[in-house]
Amino acid sequence: MNESQPAAPGRCGLREAAVRRGAPVRFTFENRVVEAYEGESLAAALLAAGWSALRDSPNGQQARGAFCWMGLCQECIVVVDGIRQPACRTACRAGLVVRKGTIG
Amino acid sequence: MTVSPESGAPDVLVIGAGPAGVEAALAASAAGLRVVLVDEAAAAGGQVYRAAPRAFTGMTATPEGRLGDDLRRRLAESAVETHFGHLVWSVSLGFRVDALAEGGPVSWSARRLVVASGAQERVVPFPGWTLPGVIGLAGATILLKSQHMLPGRRTLVAGQGPLLLAVAIGILKAGGEVAGVVDLASRGEWLATGAALLSRPDLAARGAGWVAQLHRRGVPMLYRQAIRRATARGDDIEVTVGPVERTGGPARGRERNFTVDAVAAGNGLTASTDVTRLLRAEHVFNEARGGWMPQVDAEFRTSVDGLFAVGDGAGIAGAAAAALHGRLVGLAIARELGALAPADHATQSASLRRSARRAGQFGAAMAGLMALRPGQVAGIAPEAVVCRCEDVTRREIDAACAEGVRSANQLKAWTRCGMGPCQGRICGDIASALVARHAGTEPRAGMFTGRTPFRPLPVAQLIKPVDYAELELPPPAPL
Amino acid sequence: MSSSAPSFDVAVIGAGAMGATAALHLARGGQRVALIDRGEICRQASGVNAGTLTLHMTRAALIPYAIRGRELWMDAVNWLGMDVGARAAPGLSLAFTEAEREMLEKRAAARTAMGAPIRLITPTEALAIEPGLNPSMIAAAFCELDGHVTAYLTGRAYRKALVAAGAGVFENTPVTGIAPEAGRYVIRHQDGGRTVARRLVLAGGVWLETMLGWLGIAVPIKCLVNQLIVTERMAPVMRSVVSIANGLLSLKQFENGTVLIGGGWQGLGDPVRGGVEAIPANLMGNVQLARHALPALGESRIVRIWLGLESESPDAMPIIGQLPGLDEAYVIGCVHSGYTSAPYMGQLLAERMLGNEPEMPLFDPARLIGKLEDTH
Repeated sequence: MNESQPAAPGRCGLREAAVRRGAPVRFTFENRVVEAYEGESLAAALLAAGWSALRDSPNGQQARGAFCWMGLCQECIVVVDGIRQPACRTACRAGLVVRKGTIG
Repeated sequence: MTVSPESGAPDVLVIGAGPAGVEAALAASAAGLRVVLVDEAAAAGGQVYRAAPRAFTGMTATPEGRLGDDLRRRLAESAVETHFGHLVWSVSLGFRVDALAEGGPVSWSARRLVVASGAQERVVPFPGWTLPGVIGLAGATILLKSQHMLPGRRTLVAGQGPLLLAVAIGILKAGGEVAGVVDLASRGEWLATGAALLSRPDLAARGAGWVAQLHRRGVPMLYRQAIRRATARGDDIEVTVGPVERTGGPARGRERNFTVDAVAAGNGLTASTDVTRLLRAEHVFNEARGGWMPQVDAEFRTSVDGLFAVGDGAGIAGAAAAALHGRLVGLAIARELGALAPADHATQSASLRRSARRAGQFGAAMAGLMALRPGQVAGIAPEAVVCRCEDVTRREIDAACAEGVRSANQLKAWTRCGMGPCQGRICGDIASALVARHAGTEPRAGMFTGRTPFRPLPVAQLIKPVDYAELELPPPAPL
Repeated sequence: MSSSAPSFDVAVIGAGAMGATAALHLARGGQRVALIDRGEICRQASGVNAGTLTLHMTRAALIPYAIRGRELWMDAVNWLGMDVGARAAPGLSLAFTEAEREMLEKRAAARTAMGAPIRLITPTEALAIEPGLNPSMIAAAFCELDGHVTAYLTGRAYRKALVAAGAGVFENTPVTGIAPEAGRYVIRHQDGGRTVARRLVLAGGVWLETMLGWLGIAVPIKCLVNQLIVTERMAPVMRSVVSIANGLLSLKQFENGTVLIGGGWQGLGDPVRGGVEAIPANLMGNVQLARHALPALGESRIVRIWLGLESESPDAMPIIGQLPGLDEAYVIGCVHSGYTSAPYMGQLLAERMLGNEPEMPLFDPARLIGKLEDTH
């Protein structure tokens, strides 16, 4: 990937084009590679990559994704290197292994 | 457990680095007090002045951006000891504050505690609000401002209050499409805020410009309407919108459907009362200021000795008022602790009070538009999930109330509403409003009891494994 | 409460599980009952305890009551009318040190002598029952009669049953005093109203000291402030109820996946203010023990910490029976592992008050009152 390009690949084109982001980083989500930029939140990077569903709810097994975007609602919980945390409050770093926050 | 090594025990600890918290910290520090400022975010600014990640460049300058940068610069140049990336999970009287950072648990003790935790959003539930792609209005603001990212290619913006316009414009500026703006209020209600808008002609002009811009771009503006339901349609979301009464409940009239890939919906801001509830401070209810808020005196002292609450966390009043009130708190503490002479304090705070009163007018008008209306609560569909964490529906809440529930806490015990990991923050206000309708205690039936931790605590970050022999255990139970 | 002072056969003051059970059986036995609480039914200790139906940690003398109480919880659908989440599970008590092994053996012996089916097992046997346990344990005890109840469901169940039985349930109705008059008790309420009843039952938990004081009786009641911790839902990590021989840990996982951690670690509080705050060092210690016993908890998140007030009499034994020196006044409370025994103990008191001989002995309050009266 050309480092000077501001916009990321990903089918949705949700990133504001005029903004130049940090260094590109790659992490995996459910064993699939996700291209993102340093400093982005996991939730944002996943949204831009087309992943709006981050887990299934425990009671009704419904797909859920980021909702409040400020670390309160716990809907964007993912598992990062074994620790459950809100994706909206976790910064992208190269090599992170991220899984859905579905319980069980 | 490490106590902050740099300064020993601070005089003042401030929780929350938004405008209120930062200004309180700066004012106290300028008077010579030792101040510690703690925030879970990576930088100061709170929600209103949220910074984009450091690595981002090329953002358009905005008035908020400039105010935020100025705030961060003044903080960096001050003697305030800042701890970002620290999540406060417990506060004890006296005060002791416990936080979790990447390295593990940290705690401080301080003589004075300033709670400036700001506001959180309230969203009135509708069937389908739990679908991925449906986010809060404030959530959309955060996504746009701090990640410079759109919620979707085509977003429906709905709810009430000033965030509607801000989000719609933010989406357009970031290159996205706005399918429509659905506003609970009528055009007349917006015009009625006219007098207050005059206190901030800059913001009034900006708002008018936004409306004009949306009009030019052909974005449908639907007044006196609300979302009725959202349904998944493949990767898209079909949103059904319909008219509402002035009281907010559904009215007869034509429904309209929008097909979008994102919905940004929000119904006002409420004070974050985690700490004040936990410490059993007295709270008062004011619907026009967001609902439950800690009771504070003219210098923002709560009913708990040494505890101050300021900013939106003490009642929604907006960023400008928050900054001025924050300064007042810093000065008041400085005087209390003998670091500022009473005469100096009187001079400095007098002019602040005048400015704060004016600033508060705009904030109050905007907060009024965000107030929850009785019809909105009554109109929540029976099948709508109210407690997202535990999937408790309106129907289940009504059934529990029919069997005798009379308070929010009792509802929690009977239905698990509020027992999930969000600890009742998302559902609490609506749940209390629903119970109140049965209990006859409208507009609310109490607040969920404040408990620790303020956020779910990963066990692995809270404790490190130790040898059994090293554990400090109390005496065993009697045989 | 209206000022025309409604009249009842029995007023039960305190709507925890003890008082609610007594009130229920009295109402079903034909008495006109008023169950009165300053707050909501079963929202104090009865609604916030860990719900452990264990015999490992029950006082030896109370084992027969706990066994019967556990049976009643398991059968709640039939006599209470609602499932309160009672589930049978094997109970394991663990020892990690020699001192704990000794405690384990002594506890098991004392309880077995009172009829509890507890036997010592090897760590290998314990791991076969509960594979997720820390294999560094050196000894274990097993009880097949163990399990748990979902304490917070109690209030809803009792309220429904009480209303169906024709009892008057008066929540959010604080009492400020009781005046014994000829053949009746006049109960004064905070709002100025009064309730009149021929007979009285005090069932106020940690507030019994205050209530007894209204009747001129002085019994100091100790108030323990017990810490409880619950995790976020998890994948199944345990199927038994686990404790440690030192009595400092109780651990169970509910069907919804949440794990409840108890053990009697103390917080700050008192009967006046309630449970005020958890002590961070005690939170950490409790969680350390829990994670040590069940390492899978290292992957969990703690979602809530709360405190429950537990009452203890001067000799740590229950106070259940008729109050001396008064006409038809009774008391029930101060039972360790009281939640387990409550459905039985409340029933026993009701039986006594209905004129029948209860099948197990009560716990005569006079033993605590006579002594103090001597010093007055």
